Amino acid sequence: MTAFLASQRFAILFASHNRQLCRAYSGLQKCESLLFTSPPSLLFQHQIQTGVPNITNVATASANDKPDNDAMIRRDLASLYEDIRESLGKSQATLTPIAQYYFDGEGKAIRPMITMCLAKAINCHLNQTSSDMIEKQKKVAQVVEMIHTASLVHDDVIDLAESRRNKSSANVVWGQKRSIVAGDFVVGRAIEICAAMQSDPVFELITKMVADLVNGELMQLDGSATEDERFAHYLEKTFKKTASLIAYSCQSVSVLAGADTSLQNIAFQFGRQLGMAFQLVDDVLDFVATSAQLGKPAAADLRLGLATAPVLFAAHKFPELNPLIQRRFNQPGDVETAFYLVHRSDGLQRTKELASQYCDDAVTQLAHLSPSSYQQILYTLTHELLNRMK
Amino acid sequence: MVPRSCLIRWKTRHLGSSIHPAVSFSRSLFASSQVYQTSWVQAVSNAEKVVGFPTSFLSLRSVANDEISNIAVYLKKLIGTGHPLITTAKNLVYSNDKTHQTRGLLVLLMSKAAKRESGQDILPEQRTLAEITELVHTAHLIHTGVINLNTPNANLEMGNKMAVLCGDFFLAHSCVQLATLQNLKVVELIAQAISDYSTAEFIDIIASENDSALDRWSQQMTLRYGSLIAHACQSTLILGNNVELIESGKSFGLEIALAWQANIEIQSFKSNANRADHVLSKLFPETPFVDVVANFQAVRDRHVNAALKLLTAFPQNDASLALGNIARALKC
Repeated sequence: MTAFLASQRFAILFASHNRQLCRAYSGLQKCESLLFTSPPSLLFQHQIQTGVPNITNVATASANDKPDNDAMIRRDLASLYEDIRESLGKSQATLTPIAQYYFDGEGKAIRPMITMCLAKAINCHLNQTSSDMIEKQKKVAQVVEMIHTASLVHDDVIDLAESRRNKSSANVVWGQKRSIVAGDFVVGRAIEICAAMQSDPVFELITKMVADLVNGELMQLDGSATEDERFAHYLEKTFKKTASLIAYSCQSVSVLAGADTSLQNIAFQFGRQLGMAFQLVDDVLDFVATSAQLGKPAAADLRLGLATAPVLFAAHKFPELNPLIQRRFNQPGDVETAFYLVHRSDGLQRTKELASQYCDDAVTQLAHLSPSSYQQILYTLTHELLNRMK
Repeated sequence: MVPRSCLIRWKTRHLGSSIHPAVSFSRSLFASSQVYQTSWVQAVSNAEKVVGFPTSFLSLRSVANDEISNIAVYLKKLIGTGHPLITTAKNLVYSNDKTHQTRGLLVLLMSKAAKRESGQDILPEQRTLAEITELVHTAHLIHTGVINLNTPNANLEMGNKMAVLCGDFFLAHSCVQLATLQNLKVVELIAQAISDYSTAEFIDIIASENDSALDRWSQQMTLRYGSLIAHACQSTLILGNNVELIESGKSFGLEIALAWQANIEIQSFKSNANRADHVLSKLFPETPFVDVVANFQAVRDRHVNAALKLLTAFPQNDASLALGNIARALKC
């Protein structure tokens, strides 16, 4: 048993050391194998010993357990949005509808779902049942969802977006100024709720998350990366803009449960890898799904001048994409050319493979926890995330 | 020494800057009275010497921190667009004699005023709090400066974009700084100030059945400016462990904020050619100009006197005297 644990500790150490090494490399190939897994032999051993499913043959939870836990999660999610609306409601009549606009429960709610499921999985693992702590974990999910939504509102003003989640964006309905200020209001309330949790480490993690969100947005504006640096730049931006939310959120709930550093790291890495996969799939869908499915216009990234993973992979096969990437697709016909070339290349396939690798690593992290029905839900969720269509 | 954050100083600063005739406060017009400007500027400049920091202390560290020096780039882009926020952005990037970071100054003065023993100095956390106060105020100015664009305009859209990003950056940075204080009560207070300044934008000053226009003005100004200063004063006293002065400090912060803002309205009303549109005309409709000014001066003076009275709870020292001078300077 100790040998197994030691091998796992080594695997985590090796994986994290790998990340640091890879960070220093430039170049597409090296970045592709970045980050994830321990050497294949160790992974294989681990799977044999614990029967952990690899992402391609994830077993869903047994039929008996699933409906109950599913229902409990849905109840928790519904009450989460109610709580958010309530905390934003006690204010000026003209502010409330804007503040509450995206908290109608119509979104995918993927972040709170992941946060709360992981919280429960960790609670099972550590045998923690305190209702006080569970309430605080729900607050973490609440805070993260509020901050995430506020950042969406601000992003829509920055991107001049006109629709989101199948309705007009807030800035179209109420104007840019009020949307921005309403976003600040939501952030202010979120920080208040976070402070009320009385946990300095959690607050620090949330502030790191907020800083990463802004810096990720700034990175996205910055077109100065050279060809070699582009993929690493894209991965770092993706962590900051998307994965950081989920990573810090998962780490926070583990802190509240009393996790030690190594368990916190597992929670963080799980959230991080899942977040990276989520964004990669999002980037694929931008090329593949229709606007009706997405709830927002398709090929939006190209139109904003953003070169996401499919484009970067495609440029490997079609170097003529590089000048287009450099000028952020701002010439007439650039967006169409890029769209066409991406579909002709293996860019989408390679992006999906990369997402799959991230999911595999997320699952590896998750496997460190004691078996529980919430762990099963997360396995299923990871699998569904990889294969989603919107 | 706690490192200072934010903006590159493009000109060297001297302590005890010379008095400059034109001082701008938030986004309102220049004050008209020469006497008022001189005594305010003098009071503020002297006060700066008491707490020992150069006026523009939101200073960009040298390019050691990429993220922070990047913001100057975006602010300069904003300046290039002709957006209404140009003045605010210029004041941030090109700090000069015109820019006094008075809110931060008030926090430092309050910190020092509360020290009962002469040897005690302002704590590093209190200096960080002063900086946080300026960061939040700056984010507020920038975000409320975003304009509604109904027709496409590439320049103004870029200006808005930069405004959103820079404001977000300042808010995020203030949160990171807040975490270093390791005091969640202070975090809660500053977070409330953020919610409050946002709420202020949604208040209509037109009188309703329940309250007068003046009450609604007070309510809006309390949320918009008073909350941050009051909570910052309260927070610095918490950090300095001056428990017995917390209530007085918080109330002082509120009174000085309202007096300050009332004075800004008066000065801009006096100098504004188009008086009908000014908020004071709306607060006192169908009232002759002279009476409007007199009425509102009475409001302002009430707040100044309240502030001075609260100050008597504090020990007599350079800092509390400086605070008194600043309050009195508003009465000119």
